[in-house]
Formats: sequence, C-alpha cells, structure tokens
Amino acid sequence: MKKLKSKGEESLLAPIWNWKITALSAALLFFVGILAISFGPVSLGFQEIIRTLFGLPGGLTGQDRTLLIDLRLPRALLAALVGAALATSGAVYQTVFRNPLADPYLLGAAAGAGLGATIAITSAGADLYSLLPIFSFFGAISAVLVSFFISGKFFAEPNSLLLSGIAVGSFATAVQTYLQQRNSSSLRPVYSWILGELTVANWQIVTWSSIYILIALIILFTVSKQLDGLMLTDEEAYSLGINPNKLRVIAVVAATLATATAVSASGLIGFVGIVVPHLVRGITHRVTNRGLLTIALAGATFLVLADLGARTLLSPAELPIGVITAFVGAPFFLVVLRKKRLVSQ
Amino acid sequence: MFKVRKVLTKLVIATTAISLLAICPAQAASNLPKRIISLSPSATEILYAIGSGKQVIAVDDLSNYPKETPMTKLSAFNPNVEALLNYKPDLIILNADATKALEVKAALEKLKITVFLEKAPSNLREAYLEITALGRATGKLTGAQNTISEMKSKISAAIRTGKTSKRITFFHELDDTLYTATSDTFIGKVYKDFNLVNVADPAATADSAGYPQLQSEYVIKANPKIIFLSDAQYGESLATLTKRAGWNGISAVKSKNVVALPEDIPSRWGPRLVDFYEFIANAIAKVK
Amino acid sequence: MINISDLTVRIGQRDILSDINIEIEDGKWTCLVGPNGAGKTTLLKSLLGSMPYSGSITDSGVEVFRNHDRNVAFVPQQPQIPIGMSVSEYVMLGRSKRDGWGNESNQSRNLVADILKLTGLFGMQRQFVSQLSGGEMQRALIARALVQEPTLILLDEPTSALDLHHQIAVLNNIELLKERGVTIISTMHDITLAAMYAEKIVVMQEGKVLLHGTSDFVIHSPELKSAFENRINVYTLDSGRPVIVANKDLTS
Repeated sequence: MKKLKSKGEESLLAPIWNWKITALSAALLFFVGILAISFGPVSLGFQEIIRTLFGLPGGLTGQDRTLLIDLRLPRALLAALVGAALATSGAVYQTVFRNPLADPYLLGAAAGAGLGATIAITSAGADLYSLLPIFSFFGAISAVLVSFFISGKFFAEPNSLLLSGIAVGSFATAVQTYLQQRNSSSLRPVYSWILGELTVANWQIVTWSSIYILIALIILFTVSKQLDGLMLTDEEAYSLGINPNKLRVIAVVAATLATATAVSASGLIGFVGIVVPHLVRGITHRVTNRGLLTIALAGATFLVLADLGARTLLSPAELPIGVITAFVGAPFFLVVLRKKRLVSQ
Repeated sequence: MFKVRKVLTKLVIATTAISLLAICPAQAASNLPKRIISLSPSATEILYAIGSGKQVIAVDDLSNYPKETPMTKLSAFNPNVEALLNYKPDLIILNADATKALEVKAALEKLKITVFLEKAPSNLREAYLEITALGRATGKLTGAQNTISEMKSKISAAIRTGKTSKRITFFHELDDTLYTATSDTFIGKVYKDFNLVNVADPAATADSAGYPQLQSEYVIKANPKIIFLSDAQYGESLATLTKRAGWNGISAVKSKNVVALPEDIPSRWGPRLVDFYEFIANAIAKVK
Repeated sequence: MINISDLTVRIGQRDILSDINIEIEDGKWTCLVGPNGAGKTTLLKSLLGSMPYSGSITDSGVEVFRNHDRNVAFVPQQPQIPIGMSVSEYVMLGRSKRDGWGNESNQSRNLVADILKLTGLFGMQRQFVSQLSGGEMQRALIARALVQEPTLILLDEPTSALDLHHQIAVLNNIELLKERGVTIISTMHDITLAAMYAEKIVVMQEGKVLLHGTSDFVIHSPELKSAFENRINVYTLDSGRPVIVANKDLTS
C-alpha cells in the first residue's frame, strides 16, 4: 500500500485505503481476545475455551465455566469496547481539531466525568456509589455541552471549542479537588477510579456500554469518509460538498458519547486515544479517516492486551490499567513519531 | 468391667453426637468452612483469637498479626477475584471498604464461594456483634463469646483505672499533615470512654466525616495535655514534635506526655483493642 | 452568468459588504482588487455559498446560498495543511465532489496522475504535503482545484506568498482552466498581475464596489487611483501592458 502499483502503469496511483488491513486487524483482535480469556491466575485450556464458547461438548464446567463466562469474557469484551471507543474518539478529535495531540478527554470530558464520579462517591449514602457510572456519564456529557455553549457565536469552530474545553475542564477539576479535600475518605476510591479499572466487569455493564458505544461508533464510521474534509479549511470543505459545522457537531457528539460511556464503565484510561490512532496511521502510512474502523479494532486489541497485562504481570495484585497503557503507549508513540519525521515515504 | 465402661462411654458419646446432628444438621458440615481467606487485618486477628486460625489458608498482605498468619500478596483493598479463586476457598472475608466490594462479592458468589462482608464497626457494641458474626460464620461461636467476655472485662478494667474526672485534653495525630479523629469515630469513642476531651471536636464540620484536618495554630492554641501519635511508625516522635514551629509550648510536649502508639493498634478493632485501652490508661496515669 | 444584486453581508455590528450590484460573466477571469479590508475575501466566500447574506447572488439563475448542486472550487489564501498526508492523497481529495467521498474511480486516478504531471508535482506525489515549499503548496492547491473539474473557481490571493517565478507559474496554471470554460474569480493584491491575466476587474473599497469593467477600462480610470488614495501610478509599457506601482511621494 505504500508503493506505487508498478504494474508497468505509472499513471495508476496507489490506492488510498486497503481493506485487507482492516480484515487483518479484526483477525488480530479475535486472536488476542481468545488469548486474553485463557490467561489468568487460574489457567484454562485453550481447547476447552473454544468448545465452551461455541457450545460444543467437552467444554468447561462448574466454577471454571462460571469463571470464563461470567468473569473473563465480560471483562475482555469491556476492554475491547472501551479500547475501540477511546481510540476512535481520539482519532476523530484529532481530525476535528486538526491537532495530532488531541485526545478524547479534550473538551473537558475527563474532568466532567471525574467530577461526576467524585460527587457520587462523596455524597452520603452507599446507593449513590452504585450510580457512579451514571454520574460520570452525565458529568462528561455536561462538560462537553457547556464547552459548546461557551464557544458562543463561534459554535463548533475548532479553536474556540478547544479553549472553552480547557476552561470547562479546569473548572470541573477545581470543584472536584475541593470536594475531595472536604471528604478525605473519598481520596482512595476516586484515585483508583481515575487510574482506570476493569476489575469487575459483568454482563450488565457490558450490555449497556456496548449499546451506547456501538451506536456512537456506527455513526462515526458512517461519516468517516467525509471527516477527511474537516482536515481542510471550512471553505475548502464546503466546496467539496461538506457542511463543516454540522459534520463537526455530529462527530464531536458521537465521539463524546463513546468517550463518556467508556469512562463511566472503566474510569479514566489514558493514552489509548492518542497513541492508537497514530500507531495505525504510522503503520499504514495513511491519515484518511477511512481508517477509523481499523483504528477501532486496533484500540480494542490494544486494551485487551493491556488488561491482560494488568491482570497477570503482578499477580495476584492488579496493576491499574492506566499505568500499563502509559508504559506501553509512550515508547511506541515515540518510535512512531521518530519514524514519521525521518521518513517521507 | 473397664471394657464395659469404655464401650458405654463411647455409646453415650455417639448417641449425643447423633442427636446433636439430628437437632442441627446444618451445623455439622456447612458451618465449618475449612479454607478461609481473610482480606481484613482486623478480621484476621479476630479469627485467630476465637480459634478459627487453623481454618485460615491465606490472608492479605497487611494481616501481619498474629505472627503465624499465612500472609500472601493478596490485596485487602483491591481484591482480585481470580487470584482468590486459585486458593479454592470456601469462605472469604471481604472488607466492605474495598474497591468494588459489592461487585467482587457478587462475582465470588456466582462462583459459589461464600462471602462475609465485614463492615468497620462504629462503636464497641458493633465490634462485639461483628466478632459474634464471625464466630458464627466460621463455626467458632463459643470461641467468639469467650473472646468477647475477655475483651469486655479487660477493657472495663482499663477504663476503671484510667477514667478521669479532671478535664484532660488530648490530640490524636493520624499523620504529619495533622489529620485527626473526632469523637464521632470509633477511635474517638475509645478516648471518650475515659472522659478525655478531644481537641478535634470543635473543629469538626459537616463533611469532614469524622476525620478533619487541623491547622498547626489550632493545635497550639488548644494546648492538649496528651498527644497520641498514630504516625509513630512513620517516624513521628516527641523529638520531631519539638522541632515543629511553636509546638514546644504545647503542654503535652513540655511535660513529655507524647505517646507513640504501636503500629496498627489504633486501626485494628479486634482483640488488640484491649491493648489500645491499656495504652491510654497508662498515658492518663502519667498525667494525673 | 453570476448575478449579484443588493448584496449586503453583516458580521457582528459591521456591514462588511454593502449594496453590491454586479454581474460576473461565465468563462472569463474576473479579478477583485482593492486595499485591505475592502471585503474581497468576504465577497469570494459569499460567492461560494457558505456564508449567509442578504440580497441575492444567483448563478445561472439559482441562488447560491447552501446550494450544493454547483461544482465550485475554492483555493484559500492560507490552507489547512493536513499532517501526514501525501501529495497525491491531497490532490485526490478534489475528486470528492464528483466521485463522492472515499471512492476513487480509475478514471479519477488517471486524471489525478495527469494533473500532477501538468503541474510538475508528479515526482513529489508521495511526499508529505507538509513538506512542500510555498510555491509547491500553491501548485498542489491548483492541482486539487483542477482535478475537481469545477464550473467556477474562487481563488483568494493565489500569488501573495510566492516569489515572482512561482507567481507566473501558478497564474499560467490557472489560465489553463479558462481553456476548459471555467469561470475564474480571484482576489489579488498585485494589480499589475491582475491586469496581465484577468479580463474583468472589480475595484472594491470599504465593502462597496467602486468600479467594474474590462481590465483596460478599469486600470486607466480615476476610481482605481482614488480607491488607493491616489497613491498609485499607472504606466504603460511599449507592448501596451499596464504597470501599476505605488507612489512614494505624498503629493500625487
């Protein structure tokens, strides 16, 4: 895909996107997924897992089966969903804001989610704790909405959105810090939430988060081809048949939905949103948003692997998954950055 | 003659056992978990005190008392369901303050493992109730009751020695940023039993949840007669207090009534509560 | 024919354009000239149809506002340069209007290859757009506009950032469009160049049109001088070509 198709026809330029890579990512995800659910402090046989999953005879029974179906499988699925959501949102934000350093938490979504979670944790009553996902979800969404409204007459204009996002994020963080200072017992739960945790996923969480995340991702995949137009100025995009403001709103709303859901299910997991899109773009040498599906699949694979590491590296203790994504993500990212600068295809 | 006696005795024992089994069949097998994991340092101490120690196969990485506990790398605050599974336990004692405690409990119960959710008690009465519950859960109810009565008598004795009618103020220091505990907390109530006056009480606000942070000026002004150092294990002592600006004017520092509490004693609400009470009684005696 | 009648564009409290009434002929090159702040870029954006206005702008009888049936190319003064995109990908974006986003027909691929050769960019097709020099970037923009096969092309200061050599190269490339019957409307600082290439010139000042007509007519008119506060002089070379230069003297 990097080279000219030298079939003796110099006039044919290389195809912009090769769907074989997407298929490859899907296969990789499946393979990694099976790997992830077979590893753990309790070891389960590869063959038995396959048999159990496909309902064939000779599968796992009893506690092992419960372990696979009710613990490992939802956790792997949640990791895949959250990874896909964060990677895709990151890529979309990078396009919309024309900024390669944008991440899904840019418009104050992270700070808003953190504030929502802190409110849930510090409010009296254990019932509110179980509502934590709802609080953090609405916290994230509200923060982004406020960013939009503050940007005022420059509604959806990338630079002003960015600035309002920073303002909203700072404010939310300040309120959150204040609440935490007044309720010091909340420090540990909030901190561990911030580091990101997939520790106890269950089918309930997987169900509702998959609904929102899949809706958001489908919206984004549908508009992915046109998102390329947002990389140009508004007039250029318009001349090529796009309504830039409308498209930006759709993209940011969908990306925020995905991010807010991911955050409320699993806390703040960093790096996935920045690193994975660049990884995929670096490997494929393409920046077109037709790669969104591949980026989603790559994000899913990345987080499933990271979660596997979180569970097994320091067994029986669990590493916070945010630590793994940072440790793995940062060096990879540096390598890709250097390659991009030195090589001009 | 003796043979008949032996046979008779065995018969009596057998009959009694069978009738007991008939009366409470549930008691016999399932109320005696044989593979207990304790993820709570206080619960661990209690289990060993009431006699369930032999049934414990693993404890968390903070359960360091008594010395013979089978300590592992399992975390009390971040329980890992799969790691627990590996031990094949039949009862897990889980701290209610652990991260995602309810979800962990649900997951474990799905895996058909009994979970005892241990909530931190807010006063002595609740502590005794929890000890009884632990006894019931591990089949050592009598052991629990014995432990409780021993604790009760020793604590009453300590209170009798130490209880003061004089107005003695004290400051309980949790850490060097001056977090403390008011009389609303378990620790605070222990001090209250001795009629000690907690300098933290007036500083309590609605949302400090019993653990406010005091300012250095405030402590100096309150001028406590005794200072209890819960952070002695982290290096705080009379010497370090003297170095703090303005603190050598405090009554407790001047008269050297600074008590370094031993590690873990104030944070465990098991049988070593007795030690805590006795420590306080001794400290008060020195002031009188 | 593009008909502009009573066009007023208001942004905030200010009228950026007021009461514009002109006609722009199809297939010809019309140049908007005037000092900074005259509203040239705003008029260009209004012609694109992306900007709300009061009054009327019709292209072949149809109002242009949000009318996506037209095929209009827009070359901005300062483009957004996507990071990590190759030149061929960038130029290929121009086909999105005809092919739809995300589809590249073989026909499109061939056309893009041809245009890249025409604009001298074929050898650089795999380079990153961000690595191009100013002149090369401008050529890439023109190339993208060419592959779009538009009926109207709007260019905002297509030569301002270029050296003389590249200015002429780019303008010659734009002239190729005229052969294909494309209407060209551009804004230009350099009136001499405008006179060289454009058939029609529109002189603007402070949101209004002072004068419009053929290049010859406008260049030698007093309105042109007054638009620039009489600080320009118009000379005619032996070949008949006009040269407009700024006047350093304070007296005209």
